Amino acid sequence: MNFFRRQLPLLITFVTGVLFALQYYVPHPASEAMLTSVTKWLQIIGGFALVLGVTSLFHLHAVKIRRKEPGWGYSFVLYAGIIGTIVVGLWHNGKETVDNVTTSFGWIYNFMMVPLQGTMFAILAFFIASAAYRSFRARSPEAAVLLIAAIIVMMGRVPLGEYLIPLSGDVTQWILNVLNASVRRAILIGISLGAIALSLKIIFGVERAYLGGGKE
Amino acid sequence: MTFAERMLRIDRRIIFLIIGVCTLVPLLFPMGLAIKTSPEVTSVYDYIEHMPEGSVFLLSLDFDPASKPELYPQAVALLHHAFNRNLRVIGMTLWLPGTGMANEVITHVAQERGKVNGKDYVFLGWSPGGGSVIINMGQSIGTAFPTDYYNQPTASLPVLAGIQSLRDVQYVVSLAAGTTGIETWYVFGKDKYKFELGGGCTGVIAPGLYPLLRSGQINGLIGGLRGAAEYEVLLGRKGRAVAGMDAQSVTHLVIIVLVILCNVFYFMLRRSRQGGGQALPSGS
Repeated sequence: MNFFRRQLPLLITFVTGVLFALQYYVPHPASEAMLTSVTKWLQIIGGFALVLGVTSLFHLHAVKIRRKEPGWGYSFVLYAGIIGTIVVGLWHNGKETVDNVTTSFGWIYNFMMVPLQGTMFAILAFFIASAAYRSFRARSPEAAVLLIAAIIVMMGRVPLGEYLIPLSGDVTQWILNVLNASVRRAILIGISLGAIALSLKIIFGVERAYLGGGKE
Repeated sequence: MTFAERMLRIDRRIIFLIIGVCTLVPLLFPMGLAIKTSPEVTSVYDYIEHMPEGSVFLLSLDFDPASKPELYPQAVALLHHAFNRNLRVIGMTLWLPGTGMANEVITHVAQERGKVNGKDYVFLGWSPGGGSVIINMGQSIGTAFPTDYYNQPTASLPVLAGIQSLRDVQYVVSLAAGTTGIETWYVFGKDKYKFELGGGCTGVIAPGLYPLLRSGQINGLIGGLRGAAEYEVLLGRKGRAVAGMDAQSVTHLVIIVLVILCNVFYFMLRRSRQGGGQALPSGS
């Protein structure tokens, strides 16, 4: 059994990892056909991941309702929302409009989901303003530099700021293109090197956490 | 309690009210300040402007309704430009919650421009997999999307005639609110299938994409509502983004004033505490 639980997944990971790392450099039709097939599998697996996610969400909230945990009433709202949307969506074949007429699924999308998500995001503006007032203070020289840079960028990104301080637009462009880009690039290089190292560790079986159960 | 202390502990609902008013008033009484265009937005505009008629333009609307205020105007402006230039437009999304909105914006602009679905444009919809969808499209668009959003077989659509894969697409623009988005299109798409790539994104993720811009991995970047407004100015068709810039201008200015005031009160309090030999309490 250990072969199926450990050795076989490690073997599959090693073979596919090496194969597809090399595939990138081999433009032969057979190699391309293999890539096409495998990415199609990935898409199918991605579809199943959605089913898995919804099932897991249902299970989590069923437990909350059964145990009457704080806020369990919201779990009922979640069930009603998901089941209602799935039923209406299946009824209309997942279409928001049919012959330019909005379906009830489209109504749920346009008049419930879109405004709710928009509201959640819009509320951020109020909280950002409040948080900036309460905590954006020049407590140290580093914080002061951050504060000044933030004020310049905020001025330079809006017409009123550029109107009041004409130079703010150019300084903002310089901050974004030079200071910001170079720091971001350094972070990106670090992340990429880490990702390569982790990929190699997974391919060669050094990192096995994805198998579950920790180290043997 | 000193004045500075009272001001630092001001009820946050007052700040909410100030922000609300400062957003609303410029929307009701626009100032119409001039909007300067930046090189990163102009690059996207110029690229589309110089694409020959009938070239293939793929717009990937990789965002959900939460980012609609910033990215929807970008999509509208880009679609108007593409249809102006008589390009063949392929629309799609890698974000499931954005599918209905993506279909709506493409259909709406296309109808406004008198374009025909299947002949001048197509909306492919959403397919699971993120990066693997892009690889699959790079191999074969017909395999990744056998049918479009309206269940029409993609192989029979005149707009896709002669287009086998992403290698046949001249320009891709991803309007992204995060990952999956512009980076995904670069890593899994442009790098291998050699099309030109541009980006549009929310203001909050724009600074993170500047390394891609500076290295030429993307040829241009439309950042936030400001980017959309710049594109509308370049297009000579002022829309929602230009209208929203006044509100954003005033809100930015108010936040700057609030930050300056908070620091003034903070230093007043610090000086008075230091003068009295008291330490500042944590958090103040």
